Amino acid sequence: MTNLPLWLIPLFPLVATILLGTIAVVSSGGKKGAAEGIVGALAVLFPAMSFAVVAILAYGMPEAGIRETLCNWIDIPLFKADIGFMFDGLSRIMLLFVTGIGTLITMYSIGYMHGDRGFARFFAYINLFLFSMIVLVLSDNLLLTFLGWEGVGLCSYLLIGFWNKDVNNCKAANKAFIVNRVGDIGFLLGMLCLVTVGGSGILNYDALTSFIQMIMTAGHVEIVLPVLSLTGLLFFIGCTGKSAQIPLLTWLPDAMAGPTPVSALIHAATMVTSGVYLLARLGSMFAILPVVLDIITVIGMLTAFWAAMAGLFQNDIKKVLAYSTISQLGYMFMAAGVCAFDASIFHVFTHAFFKAALFLGAGAVIHALAGEQDMRKMGGLVKKTPVTACVMIFAFFAIIGFPGFAGFWSKDLILERLFMSGPMGPAFYVIGLFTAVITAVYMGRLIILTFFGEYRGSKESEEHIHEAPACMLLPMVILAFGAIFAGYLWADSIGITFFRDSLAPVVGSAQAYAATMHSAAHVNPMIFAGLGTLAALLGMFIAYKVYGNARVPAAKGSSAPEGRKATWTFFFDYVHKYCGIIPVQVLAWICDVVVDKILQATQWTLGAIATILGDGATVIQVRKVRLQVAFSVAGVAALVLVVLLTGGLI
Amino acid sequence: MLLHILVLAPFIAAILMVATSKEDPKSSSRLAFIFGLAFVALSVMLIAAGNKATDPIEWFRIPGTKGPVYYYLYSHGLGAWMVFLSTALSLVALVSARVTSCKNYRNFAIGIFALMGAMNGTFLAADAVLFFFFFEAMVIPAAILIAGFGGEKRREAAMTFAIYTLVGSAPMMISLLYLLTIADNSLLLSLAMALQQLPAGTQAAILASFLLAFVVKTPIFPFHGWQAITYSEAPAPLSAILTGAMSKAGVFGFIAWILPIFPLNMGIVSTMMWLGLATAVYGALMALRATDGKKLLAFSSMSHLGIAVAGVFSLSEAMLPAVLVLLVAHGLCAGAQFFLMGIAERMAGTRELDKLGGLAGNSPVFSTLFGALGVMSLAVPGTAGFVGEFTVLLSLWDMGPLAALVMGFTMILSAAYMLRFIQKVIFGKASGSYDNGPRTSGLEGASIGVMAVLLLVFGFHPAFVTDSLHLFDEEAVEQMTDAGKDASAEEAAEADEGDSEELPQAMTPEEIAQLDSSLKANGFSDEERKSLITQVVGAEAALALESRVQAGLDSAAAPTNEEALNKEASND
Amino acid sequence: MELQPIYIQILALAIFALGLMTAISRRNLFFVLMGVELALNAVNLSFIGFSKTLPADMSVTGQIVPLFSIAVAAAEACVGFAMVILLFRKKESVDSDNYSNMKG
Repeated sequence: MTNLPLWLIPLFPLVATILLGTIAVVSSGGKKGAAEGIVGALAVLFPAMSFAVVAILAYGMPEAGIRETLCNWIDIPLFKADIGFMFDGLSRIMLLFVTGIGTLITMYSIGYMHGDRGFARFFAYINLFLFSMIVLVLSDNLLLTFLGWEGVGLCSYLLIGFWNKDVNNCKAANKAFIVNRVGDIGFLLGMLCLVTVGGSGILNYDALTSFIQMIMTAGHVEIVLPVLSLTGLLFFIGCTGKSAQIPLLTWLPDAMAGPTPVSALIHAATMVTSGVYLLARLGSMFAILPVVLDIITVIGMLTAFWAAMAGLFQNDIKKVLAYSTISQLGYMFMAAGVCAFDASIFHVFTHAFFKAALFLGAGAVIHALAGEQDMRKMGGLVKKTPVTACVMIFAFFAIIGFPGFAGFWSKDLILERLFMSGPMGPAFYVIGLFTAVITAVYMGRLIILTFFGEYRGSKESEEHIHEAPACMLLPMVILAFGAIFAGYLWADSIGITFFRDSLAPVVGSAQAYAATMHSAAHVNPMIFAGLGTLAALLGMFIAYKVYGNARVPAAKGSSAPEGRKATWTFFFDYVHKYCGIIPVQVLAWICDVVVDKILQATQWTLGAIATILGDGATVIQVRKVRLQVAFSVAGVAALVLVVLLTGGLI
Repeated sequence: MLLHILVLAPFIAAILMVATSKEDPKSSSRLAFIFGLAFVALSVMLIAAGNKATDPIEWFRIPGTKGPVYYYLYSHGLGAWMVFLSTALSLVALVSARVTSCKNYRNFAIGIFALMGAMNGTFLAADAVLFFFFFEAMVIPAAILIAGFGGEKRREAAMTFAIYTLVGSAPMMISLLYLLTIADNSLLLSLAMALQQLPAGTQAAILASFLLAFVVKTPIFPFHGWQAITYSEAPAPLSAILTGAMSKAGVFGFIAWILPIFPLNMGIVSTMMWLGLATAVYGALMALRATDGKKLLAFSSMSHLGIAVAGVFSLSEAMLPAVLVLLVAHGLCAGAQFFLMGIAERMAGTRELDKLGGLAGNSPVFSTLFGALGVMSLAVPGTAGFVGEFTVLLSLWDMGPLAALVMGFTMILSAAYMLRFIQKVIFGKASGSYDNGPRTSGLEGASIGVMAVLLLVFGFHPAFVTDSLHLFDEEAVEQMTDAGKDASAEEAAEADEGDSEELPQAMTPEEIAQLDSSLKANGFSDEERKSLITQVVGAEAALALESRVQAGLDSAAAPTNEEALNKEASND
Repeated sequence: MELQPIYIQILALAIFALGLMTAISRRNLFFVLMGVELALNAVNLSFIGFSKTLPADMSVTGQIVPLFSIAVAAAEACVGFAMVILLFRKKESVDSDNYSNMKG
């Protein structure tokens, strides 16, 4: 069964995109959209088929993975690239949850998007996204990964601005795309750096790994280290864009303007983790770049802490989750920064489940409240929507790292690796642990404000509150199971290391190399587990004390934070504004108003000079036609005379 | 034969169009469509046929020059693709104008055909005088069409356009004439040889005059004064042709005429490259502030062509295919965008960005195309634009990281202005009072859709485009005949001069001599030899330029500019 | 005594001078045109005169060219008169001194 071709996996969503896109365009002219049943069935069927293929392949995958070169892509002097796929331990895990969660969320969307005018268009975009994401994780070289990389960015743009009647949504979409573009340029330049080092063949992951091993065994690391460090930094810039790390993180909170399933799929579970995937994929290269690794760790730490704090101040339920995503991504980067790529991918994996569950739960809440997103107008929903509440609470336990739930295993692992990472390890560990406490606080706040206490919305809206339909609940429940049990794939304390073993062929050697660089005293893992549990309990306790009985301020107009909270939340927006946008605007103004006017003035001056000269020439023009003829005859005569006398001028 | 048809038949088609009715666009549009389709088919055949040349026909002699002017056409990958752009965009223009400007369709079609013939001639001419003739001839139908069918300020636009481009190429005419008094004939090789005999100062002056003509046509900052007003005032179908095909004549001139003829030194190369990059940034910044949709597209075109010119003067090995793909992608994409902007203008009655909006709700098919092509112009991977821009970026990276960074900055800016453009035109709420002109017709939508599909196809399989260059190389080598005598003689002459900037020779004299003798046995005539030399030199000069630049570097006593240093560093 | 070519040339010169003077000095456009025609025919005459200096087989070329130029002259006269008529309609005058559009 394992001889299924790899290209089947991306093919299914691509076919679905084309089909649904055609349906969307054709049906757009009519009064009613296309039949939702058919569209929904198509939209779920194709990703599900992809998932089935992935599952079959994953089951029978040889340890070294499967490689398949489809065809040549670019072939010019100096540069060659193929379209090729690689299915190994890392791609397997990514693909399993990308297609799996993708299918579930597509199913959920059928209920969520019910009645929307752009129903078919939405699913066309979602399938295009899945196609791009699959290409991203399945490709065997950086250039093809970049295709998926920009492809998911493009789909993110399309889906954030899905409700394009509202200009604010479009602006959020534009922001997401442009900020990502900045990162993408880093990615592009990083590839060029690599090509400079080892030719275009090195863009292939296998070739890169063997190249790195070659220079390591030959002891030439110092020679290429400067260029490789630059390469690493450039790729990291790309990752900060896609994975919303400092400084390119402002787009993710704004991206919540899109439909909630999109936020769950793209901006929580899959796309934003592609930065982490890339770090792990290039692990062999990053492992020999200590400076870059340190930068990654510090950036990840700052992001995790800053976003957790910002999450405390949000009133919009989706914004809380957005900042929480950024914060969790910070954890993953911290792990990658200490070369614990398997731990960081493990957190990607568990995070995909519980964050998707949280988002879908939030979506169900928003759906129940007919579009209300401000938590100050919620409350007491546990009675009205019990299933949603249960799902959200399980996912809440997972994200704060409550013992036994998925997040507990992965977050503990990251903190443990942080502690063991060298002399600065304990400091990283303390900050990570502190961030975990804040995580528990803001998530506790979200749960308390949404599900407990009294309902704070208007009376009329209270009557309409209803539980979501089954096709929305089913994916949520499945994800909630994932949020509980996904962690048991790698439960160190009880001796299960399945996940690590399956990743070992890909990232094992890089991590082994990094481990030789520093050795830390062995600490009993139970201590970490205990401290982690303590952090979660402490955070929950604080949340209960602070928000449990407090009066919630009445909601005013906008759900955006105000005052000092806003300063903290929008800090990086200000940074972007003053370091990026305004300088460009000033430059554009100079071009438009100064340079262009100077050029126009020059043009006008030249024109004026020509006109004046022409006016001058008319003076010698005589009035009578006859005289002109006489002059010209005289002129010819004079010329003939001159030629005759001098024997030719030339 | 194919070449003759592609150059001459458009003029015949233009004459035949006179026979159709002036008032009723039905018959004339059908005839024009058939002609247009035939030309597209022919241009595809031309691409498939690869390297081709006609027999040189002596056309006339300019008094005071040594050799005759030939009517002599040849096609190689670059020219053939440019011809494809010119015919394809003309066809779509004819389709699109059917709905847009019904008032005097016949005359519009006549103008388009004349323009197409002139453009094809420009891209296929092997003789410098013939090239110049067509290069100038393009301006006339274009200016007349602008003056006849343009917007409110059409006269001003036509005047600016004509004066800029004609004045820009006037110095080129003079220096070409001067070169012809020295050269044996006006073919590429003899021009290059003639130039070698001149003192350095004269060479520089001639180079400057040639550069000026192409720089104005492309246009490159600061000679872009005509562009914005022309593109915005011209009827949208014509703007599409102007940017998609005619502006390529400038870049084409750099590749096909400047690079083979002139021994460029590092200073000029890097100046031109930085001018190209400055154009790219300037165009992008201007596009950010543009309030007129067509002006925005005009500046966006300028930005992309700036990148193309920078790519040309990066002179890396990958330059030729990279720039070719970029040009094809830009031609299709910018062309389609102009058509779509024309449709938007027709539907809404305005092209002010602030007054547009909400067309997504009004016309879904249109806005799907509009959004798709807008995104394609951002060089998203999987579209031809990406292949072009990435490979050009690769070439620029060789020249130094700073150049690549500037280009990266341009790519970010392009996202900023293009997304703003898309948002302003199709998203948001409709501003209410639209004229509700005719919507996208089926044929129009289909033809633009085909262009979008082509962009995707070339994005995933650029070999369709780049292979036409390979084809050229191999065939050129195969056809390499007894060019040896002239070429080796020339090389010897150069060796005597001790000039380090020799004409590049991809083949060694021994190889040429071998081929020479073997082909002499086959009995090729003098005329055939000459024509083949020209073709071969045209190809090889571009490819071997890299080595020439290297040679120039070695000889330069003090490589003052940074690029030279970077270049050396990166080679180490 | 045979006709010397030089006499023909002198005659042609005289006629040409007459034509030129008519074209320049007369104000009536019709006379101007007639002067131009006269000058043109003088040139034809000169052509034939020169062709006489050549051997017979070559002189044929010289005699054919005037035939062409006569045909061209006829066409030119047609166009010229048409223009004069149009000008007359516009200006209500055939006085060439009234036509001063050329001056700015």
